[in-house]
Amino acid sequence: MKVSRILIILMLVFLLALPALLSTSLVNAAIQMLIAALFASAFNVLAGQGGMLSFGHSAYFGIGTFATIHAMNALGGEGLLPAPLLPVFGGLAGCALGIVAGWFSTQRSGVYFSMITLALAELLHALAPHLKGIFGGESGVSAMRMPAWGFTFGSSIEVYYLTLAWVVVSLALLYFFTRTPLGRLCLGLRENSNRLPFMGYSVHALRLSVFMISAIFSGIAGGLLALSNEAANYVIFDVNLSAQVVLNAYIGGVGAFFGPALGAAIMTFFGYAVSDLTRTWLLYQGVIFVLVMMFMPAGLFSISSWWATQRGRHAPAVLVRVLATWIVGCVLATCGFVIIVELLAHILAQDYQSLLVPGAAWPAVLLFGIQWQPGALLTWVLPAILLVVGIAVVLLGNRQWSYAQQEQAA
Amino acid sequence: MTPSTPVDARSPDPADTSLRNAATADTGVDLPPVLSLHNVHKSFGETAIIRGVDLALREGERHAVIGPNGAGKSTLFHLISGLIRPTSGQIFLGDRPIQGLDARNINKLGLARSFQITNLFPGLSVYENLRFGVMRRHGLQYNFWKPISRYRAVAAQTEELLEELRLTRHRDTLGGELSYSEQRSLEIGMALASDPHLLLLDEPMAGMSREETEYTVGLIRELTQGRTLMIVEHDMDVVFSLSDRISVLVYGQVIATGTPDEIRANVQVQEAYLGAEVKA
Repeated sequence: MKVSRILIILMLVFLLALPALLSTSLVNAAIQMLIAALFASAFNVLAGQGGMLSFGHSAYFGIGTFATIHAMNALGGEGLLPAPLLPVFGGLAGCALGIVAGWFSTQRSGVYFSMITLALAELLHALAPHLKGIFGGESGVSAMRMPAWGFTFGSSIEVYYLTLAWVVVSLALLYFFTRTPLGRLCLGLRENSNRLPFMGYSVHALRLSVFMISAIFSGIAGGLLALSNEAANYVIFDVNLSAQVVLNAYIGGVGAFFGPALGAAIMTFFGYAVSDLTRTWLLYQGVIFVLVMMFMPAGLFSISSWWATQRGRHAPAVLVRVLATWIVGCVLATCGFVIIVELLAHILAQDYQSLLVPGAAWPAVLLFGIQWQPGALLTWVLPAILLVVGIAVVLLGNRQWSYAQQEQAA
Repeated sequence: MTPSTPVDARSPDPADTSLRNAATADTGVDLPPVLSLHNVHKSFGETAIIRGVDLALREGERHAVIGPNGAGKSTLFHLISGLIRPTSGQIFLGDRPIQGLDARNINKLGLARSFQITNLFPGLSVYENLRFGVMRRHGLQYNFWKPISRYRAVAAQTEELLEELRLTRHRDTLGGELSYSEQRSLEIGMALASDPHLLLLDEPMAGMSREETEYTVGLIRELTQGRTLMIVEHDMDVVFSLSDRISVLVYGQVIATGTPDEIRANVQVQEAYLGAEVKA
C-alpha cells in the first residue's frame, strides 16, 4: 500500500516535469497518451469492473469531442465557459448519450450487450455525416482555445498541463468510485448479476448507472481531445476507436485499476513512435495484443501484481534474474521478427517490385542502416536465428522460474 | 421433471386431506399467515409442474417442504421468490399479493432465499459477498459520493454476520475459493444479510457430509431465531428434527401438511413418499 502510494507520487512528479524534457511533438504525443489513458480507464469501469464489454465506446468519446467543440464556438467564439472548464460539456454530452444508449443496451448482458453497443455506435457513425449542422460533414468543425485565467493556451505545454490536471482529477474520481457502494456493486454485476435481484437490487438500474459514469468520463476524455486538437470530425465515431480502446484496456489489464491507463499510454506512444517508421505497425499492434492475451491474459499490469505476490516467497535477486531473462528473450525475438517482417514488407511492396529486372539479382534493401541482399542466405538466417534464440531464452526463463518455484516448495 | 401418469392414486383430491385443512384452519386463528399460496399452478408448455398448491406459513415457524425428485419443490421456491411467474393462482406475502412481481421487489418486501446450486460472487471476498446484503438493508445502492468504509453500521453488521456464520477467519478469502460446505454457509449468510422476515432455504445441506450437516443444522437453528423459515431438504433426519411443520409435495400438489408426528403417521404420505424410511 505504501509502495504504491510512493509510486503514484513519483509518477505525478515525473508527469509534471515531463514537458521540460520533451520536444513539442513529443509533448503533443504525451497529451494524446493522457487522453487515451483516461478514455481506457473510463471504458474499464464498464468492461473490467462491471463486466460489460462495450464495442461502441467511440460514441461517448466522440459526442464529448463535438459537445466541447460547439461549447468553444458558442457566444461568437467566446466559449460557454473559460477554456479550462470546457471538457465539462464533454462529460454532460457523454452522460446524456450514455443514459439513452445505456437504457437500451443494459437490458441485456454478455454478447447481446456488446452487439447493441456496437449497433448504437454504428448508428451514430452512419448518421453523423448527414447532420452537417452538428458534425460539420467531411470537413468537420473547428474552434479556437480562448485565453483564460492568465493563460493563452497557445503552446502545447499549457495544453499538456491542462490535460494532465483533468486526467489526474478524473482518474482520482474514478478510483474513488471503486470505493463507493455503487462501485462495489459494479463488481457484483460482473461476478454474478443473477444473484443481485434476490438481494433486492435492480440490475438494470445498477448497470445503467455504471454505464452512465463510464460515458461521462469517456465524454470528458473526448472533450480534452477537442481542446487539444481544436477540431473534430465525424470520423471519430468510427469503429476503429472503439476497437482501439478495447485493445488498449486489455493489453494493459482490465483487472487492475491502472492497467487500462498503462496499456493506453503504451499503445498510443507505440502508435506515435512506430506509425511514422513503418506501414506495418498495425500488424505489430495485433501481434502484441495476441501475445499478451496468450501469455499474460491479465495484461501488462499483471507484472506488478506478480512481483507483489512473489516478493514474499522469493529473493528479489531471483525475481530480477527471471524477469531479466524473459525481457532479453523477448527483445531478441522481437528483433528477429521485426527484421523478417520489414524485409518482407519492403520486398513485397509495389515500388520495390517495379525495380526488379528479370534475370538480374534483386537489389539490396536498406533497413536499419544496413544493406540487406534478398538473395543472400544470411539475410534470412540471421533474423531467424535471433527469433529462435529469443524464444529459447524465454523458455530458459520459464525453466529458471519453475526451478525457483520447486526450490521454494521444497 | 415430467410427472408420470398414475398420479390419481397418490394425490387424492386436496379436499380429502383432513390434515392439511386442519393446518390451514389453524393459521387463521391468531396471526395471519406470513406466506400463503392459493391454488398456484405452473406449466412449462404442456407440462404441468405445479398443479394447484395451497400452503400457509405461520409466523415464526420452521416449515419444511419435502417430496420425491421432480415433485416441484425447487419450482415452488422459484415461484415464491419471483424467479418465475405462476401460470395461475395467488401468492400472498402477509396480505400483499406477490405473484408476478420480480425477485427484487419480493426481496424488498422481506423475503430472501438461498439457492440449491451455490450462487455467490466467486471473485469477491467473503466479506464483500455478505456486505452486498447488508448494504441493501441500509438502502445503499446508487451511492457514488461516499466511500462504503465510512458506513460504520454496515461494517459492524457484516462483521457480526461473519461471526455468526463462523467465517471470520475467511473474511478475505474469495467466495469461489472456500470449501464446499463453507460456500453453503456463505450462501445462507447472503440470504440472511438483507435481514429478511421470511427465509427460503433450498437444500442448504445438499452434498454435505454427516458432520457438516449437523454443523449447518445448528447454524440454521441459531440464525433463523425470530424469522419464519421455509426449507427444502432431502435429509429426513434434518427435516424431522428441525421443522415445526412439514408439507409433502408430490407431483405438484401438497398432499399433506402437519407436524412431524402427524406426517410420520399419515398413511398417504407413507404410501407416496416416505415409506420404509420413516418406519425404520
